This record gives sequence, C-alpha cells and structure tokens, in this order.
Amino acid sequence: MDTRLKQEQASIRKTPARKRSSSRDKGSLGERLFQIFNICFFIGMGLTTLIPFVNLIAKSFSSEAAVVSGSVNLFPIGFQIGTYRYVLQDILFIQSFRTSVIVTVLGTLLGLLFTTLTAYPLSKLRLRGRKWFLLYFIFTMLFSGGLIPTYLLMQELKLVNSIGVLFLPGMVNIFYLLLIKNYFEGLPESLEESAKIDGAGHLRILVSIVLPLSLPVLATIGLFFAVQYWNDYFAAMIYISNPEIKPLQLFLKEMLVASSNDFLKDRVDAALNTTPQSIQAASILLATLPILLVYPFLQKYFVKGVLIGSVKG
Amino acid sequence: MKRKVGLTLLALLLSLSMFGCSSDGSSSSGKGKNSGLRMLMPYSRFDPNKDFMASYIQEKTGVQVNYEMLPAENFDEKLNLLVANKEPIDIMKLSSGQFYQLASSGALEPLDELIDEHGDYIKSAIKDSTWGSATIDGKIYAIPEAGSGASAGEALVVRQDWMDELGLEAPKNPEELYTVLKTIKEKKQIVPLTGAKDSIYGDIASAFGIVNDWEDQNGKLVHKAEHPRMKEFLSYMNRLYEEGLIDQEMPINTAAKAIEKFTSGKAAMYKLAWWNSTNTVNSLKQNFPDAKLSVIPYLQDADGKASVGINTGITWFIAIPKASKHKEEAMKLLNAKLAPDVFKGLAIGDEGVHHELKDGKYYPILPKFNEDLTNGSSYMTGTDEHKYPEYWQARVRKEPILQSYFEAFQKEAEGHLVIDPMSLAPPIDAVNKNKLKLMKLLDDNVLKFITGAEPVANYDQVLEQWYAEGGKDMVKQANDWYTNR
Repeated sequence: MDTRLKQEQASIRKTPARKRSSSRDKGSLGERLFQIFNICFFIGMGLTTLIPFVNLIAKSFSSEAAVVSGSVNLFPIGFQIGTYRYVLQDILFIQSFRTSVIVTVLGTLLGLLFTTLTAYPLSKLRLRGRKWFLLYFIFTMLFSGGLIPTYLLMQELKLVNSIGVLFLPGMVNIFYLLLIKNYFEGLPESLEESAKIDGAGHLRILVSIVLPLSLPVLATIGLFFAVQYWNDYFAAMIYISNPEIKPLQLFLKEMLVASSNDFLKDRVDAALNTTPQSIQAASILLATLPILLVYPFLQKYFVKGVLIGSVKG
Repeated sequence: MKRKVGLTLLALLLSLSMFGCSSDGSSSSGKGKNSGLRMLMPYSRFDPNKDFMASYIQEKTGVQVNYEMLPAENFDEKLNLLVANKEPIDIMKLSSGQFYQLASSGALEPLDELIDEHGDYIKSAIKDSTWGSATIDGKIYAIPEAGSGASAGEALVVRQDWMDELGLEAPKNPEELYTVLKTIKEKKQIVPLTGAKDSIYGDIASAFGIVNDWEDQNGKLVHKAEHPRMKEFLSYMNRLYEEGLIDQEMPINTAAKAIEKFTSGKAAMYKLAWWNSTNTVNSLKQNFPDAKLSVIPYLQDADGKASVGINTGITWFIAIPKASKHKEEAMKLLNAKLAPDVFKGLAIGDEGVHHELKDGKYYPILPKFNEDLTNGSSYMTGTDEHKYPEYWQARVRKEPILQSYFEAFQKEAEGHLVIDPMSLAPPIDAVNKNKLKLMKLLDDNVLKFITGAEPVANYDQVLEQWYAEGGKDMVKQANDWYTNR
C-alpha cells in the first residue's frame, strides 16, 4: 500500500512538470530520450506492482486444481465464482469486514477530529508554553511504555477484547499532528486577522476559514488514518481474542498463516481443513478492494493541494 | 452548514461514549455472572462460539463455555501476556512447548487431587503410560490429549504412466531408486524427484537406518544427528543432487511449490502426505487426464527390511491455570467430556445423523458430518485412547481419494512402523530448551551437505557444534530418563 501511495505522490509532483514540458513543445533529443526512458521505467515499475495483483484476481476466479498446479498466470483457468460466493457467506469474513469498516470509519473521523483540534492551538506562536506542550506530545512519539505495561493499561481501561481498543488509543497521532500543525503554520496570519475584524471567534475561524483551506492536508491525513486502520492487525492480535471483533487484516493473516506448513506440522486435523488457495485469493482481493476504492476519490485533493493559493496579491 | 458539522461531531462523540460503555458493560457482566467457563484454544479458522460443537458440548454437559483463541502467529507472546496478567481462564489447550513453559514457571495448577476427586472418566480414558508426558516432578499438570493413533503420514508416489512407458519397476532400495531416477532423468528430461525443504528424511533416510529423531541402540538413546550412518545417507543424497536426480530447488521449495511441480508434470516422483492427496490427485488429473499414480512401497535397507518412523508423542495438553476461579467446575467439565457416550458424540457426532456403522467401521454421513464436525477436534480436551483412533478414521473416510491414499499408505506400512522411543517421555528440560534450535541447526546443515555446498567429510564438525550448542545435554538428560524409566 505504501508504494502505491508514494507513486501517487510522485505523480502529483510530476504533474506540473509534465504540463510545462508539453507547452514548451518538444525538447532536445536528449530530453526526449530521457522522457522515453522515464516512461518505460515507470511503466515497468507500475507493472511490477500490478502483475501480482492481476495474478491474484486470476487465481481467485480459477479452479482450485489449476491453482494448485501453478498454471494460473494472468488469466483464470477453469473459470468459477464459487470462491466469492463462499467468502461472502463466510461468517468470519463478514464479521471481520464489519469490524474493519467500523474501526476505519470511526478511527478516521475521530483521529482527524482530535488530531486537528490538538494541532490548531499548537500552530499558534502566541500559545503560552507551546514548546512544552509540543515536547510533551513528541515525547510519546519517541518513548512508549512497552507491550506488557500497555496491555495492563488497556486491561484496566476495560478495553481488552473490545472493539474500542483498535482505535481509541491512537486518536491523536503525533506524526500526523506535526504535519497538520506545519500546514496550519503555513496559512497566512492575515487571513485570521481579517476574520477577527469581521467578528469571528476561535471556533468560527477554525471551522470557517482554516479547515476549508486545509482540505488537502486533511484529505491526506484522513487517507493515512484510513489506510493505517484498515491495514492494522497488530493491535487486534494482541488485544482481541474474540473472533467476532477481529478485523479483516488479522483474519487474512491468520488464514494465510494457518495454511502454512510450519503451522500444519503435526496437526493432521488442521491439515485436513486448510483453506483452498483460490478462496484465499478471493478473500485477499475482497479485503483490499474497499481501501483501493478510496484512493480515486481523494486523488483530486492531492492534485489540488499544491496549487491552492489563499491570499492574492 | 457549519452547525450541522458540529452536530454530527457531537453525535459521533455521544455514540462513541455509549459504545465504550456497552463494551465495558458486557465484559464486566460476563465476569460477574460466573455462569460460563473460559477456555483458551489454539488458532483454527472458525468462530468457536458459533460452531455446532460449542452448543453440542453445552447440551451434553450442561456447562456453558466461552471459547477464546490464541492468534495464529505470535501465539506464545499472547499466551505469556494472558498468563502474566493472571487472566482467569479456566481451561487451556496448550502445545507441548507452551505446556512445559507454563508448568515450569508455576502458572499451572497441579491436577492430581482434582482428577482423583472428579476424574473417573478421565482415568479410564487415558492409558497409564500417557500420563508420564504431563508429569513434572511427580505431579500431573495437564491432561495429555493423545492423537489419532499410530499411522504413516507420507510415502513416495510416482507417475506410473511414465514408469510403464520406460519399463521401470518400483524401486525397492536406495540403489534401485538411484537407477530408476537416473533412467527417468535420461529419457524424460525432467526432474526425477521433487520435495520440500522441510521433509528431507522420510523413507530414503529410513533405508539407511535413520528412522526417527531418536533410536534405541543397545538400550541407549541415540539422536538422529549422532546416527552412525548419517554420513552415508548424506553422501547418497549428495550424489542424487549432484547428478540432477533431485530437484535442484529442493532446499527452497515449500510444500505447495513441490506439489505444484509434481502436478504440472515437471517432476516424476514426490513424497506425498496423505492429507494432501485430494488436492494433488485432482490437480494432476486436470492437467494430465491420463496420468496414473502409484505408491512406492517403503524402501528397504541392506537387510531387506523396511521401516516407517512415527512419533506418537502428545501434541496437546489440557491444563487448568492457577489463575482460574472455577478449577473444580473445569475438571468436572473435562471429565464429563470423556464420558464414553459424550466423547463418541464429540468425535463423530450422533449415529444416523453424523455417522453410520458399516462392517464395523464408522463412516461419515455427508454433508452433515462436515457441516457440524469439521472443527470438532479443536474442542477435544483429552481423548479416549482406546476408542479415538477408530472414531477418528471416519474423518478420513469423508472423501474417496483421501481414504484410498490413507489406506494405501497404512497397508504399505503395516508391520513396518517404528515408534520413536521419546514419544512417551515426560517433559525433559534440556530437550524442551534445545529441540527446536538444534533441529534447525541440523536441517540447515543437512541441506548444505546434500547440495554439496559443504563436503560431507565436514559432518563431524557440525556434530561437534550440535553437541556444544546443547546436544550433549539433551542426549544426556534423555538417556537419564530412558535408563531409569
């Protein structure tokens, strides 16, 4: 997921450059060669990430016999959709899907809310003790209590084995907080002053002036949050043993691990019940699709982000 | 507009706080009611509280149990967290390593008195010899759950259509195997024998006398690593490898990869585990409708004797942790689950619904058997050792290919099974501490010798290292037990 993100960021950075070069007609021979090389290189890079995915799609639609003998490449062999029917009826998949959606939606909304509300005052130079507050937050980014003390804390907070443990502890993400804070600091002071002259209070300035101007960074951070929550399995692995509230990634991971040879050693009964590879492929695909679908909708904020200017003249 | 945003946020916060309360409430009420027992089981891919077996057990024993699972990975860390935190879990189903670790750190309740008081069925279900594996310093810390009995798991299978084409007979010993592989290599230009990196030994090693991890030689336990014929075996394998008779990628093959090569016609011979037979056979038939498979009888050593090594050691230990608040109820439940009729139900369901009796053998009734009992063995907490192997075979009979390979392997192995003498050993400190580490050390090096990365003459140095890294202790403590048993 991260590489895809980087590529997108790279493509954003490239956009203005491409526009410039096309308006300047064709460049010199060297420049054109470089362009051709560039295009080939990035197509190659794109394919290396795309092909495994296509292979996965092909496997999920192929018959198990074809998958086992490794003959499925880019196109399905022995087409069937029974795998999808199976996965969509699988109670474990449905439960995990529900958990992941709840965690991602609530986690992203709450994360954005609290991180923004913390970042805003910290972006104001006149805040008294700002440096100490910042240090206080950054400290937690660098040092933590360790796994067992954190577990005990969650236990005391009665969060163990509840869905809240998956998003409540991470509502304020310090790294994202710094990103948002820096963005806020980049907004011109004069905007705020002009709003003040019009009689706006702090909340009004934040909601009506600052946030609308910060949509690019909010969209980015929102996506970071969403991807982070959607992909997280570690917290669930540690804190959750009730299968009803295991998120999707943990479900997937466990499905794959449970089919591996190390796990099946000496467990004949488990070996008799392994998940067929085509069903594994379908589950992975269905679990990845939702978060993939989020990207196109947020794309426009990424592109706009760099271009937005707030103060004219 | 903005007010709406504010309202939504407020609503969100409210719903969140309610959410927190509700999850909080349910967990505390669960603890407060004391009605159900908590059982921790290893990972398996199903929801243990919604499975047919969960309600079946409640119906038969009248006890409500809340099941929890360890994760599929990092399970030891999670278990340690739960134990360090004194989670009041009442029953734990543990692997041998986990059991030993928890028992020796004092986290488990000694069960002798509880079993005497409440464990009549348990005592009659479990053989006296089995208890040793769960006894530490004279105290029983778990109910050992014996498996499905002694049976052969793997055998070499070969593409009989190619053997016929080349006029070859099934090889009887390593020398004949060499000739057969060489002929296949010359005539067919394919990989004669493929395999996975984690199943190196099998019946080729057995033909050199290396049958199990441990062997009794004149009343003394000898580990595979110190076996006098190890070098001979390695030289033989090295010869096969150098001449291209074993898959050159064997040291990196996973089991799935090896099956892939065999079923796509890139290899002629493969060591098949019967539980993989359905997949393998179906896939091969799809790619090569005319393909014929046959099982090669277990290879014989120089004296014409074949042997198949097996370990009948205990895989699961059912323990009651000290932190449990319902130890007696837990023991009563464990006992009730081993009452003869209840146990039979747990193993193969109800007669006429889940299974039927044909010529003295239990056959599953499909699809009901699969729907209800697929995950049955996860709920086992000890088995009736006199009956379970018989019941368990119903699981093999749910699919004709599976059944035919299972039965073919058992027929070939009949009279040749050699049980690892360490199968019934109690937990031995040096063995538990070093077993995995030493196994890895040995396997890594064995692969080096087979591929020729290291000359076989250097084996003695590896053995020295093996001794130095704990092998010496392990062999010594194993023998201390063996001579005084």
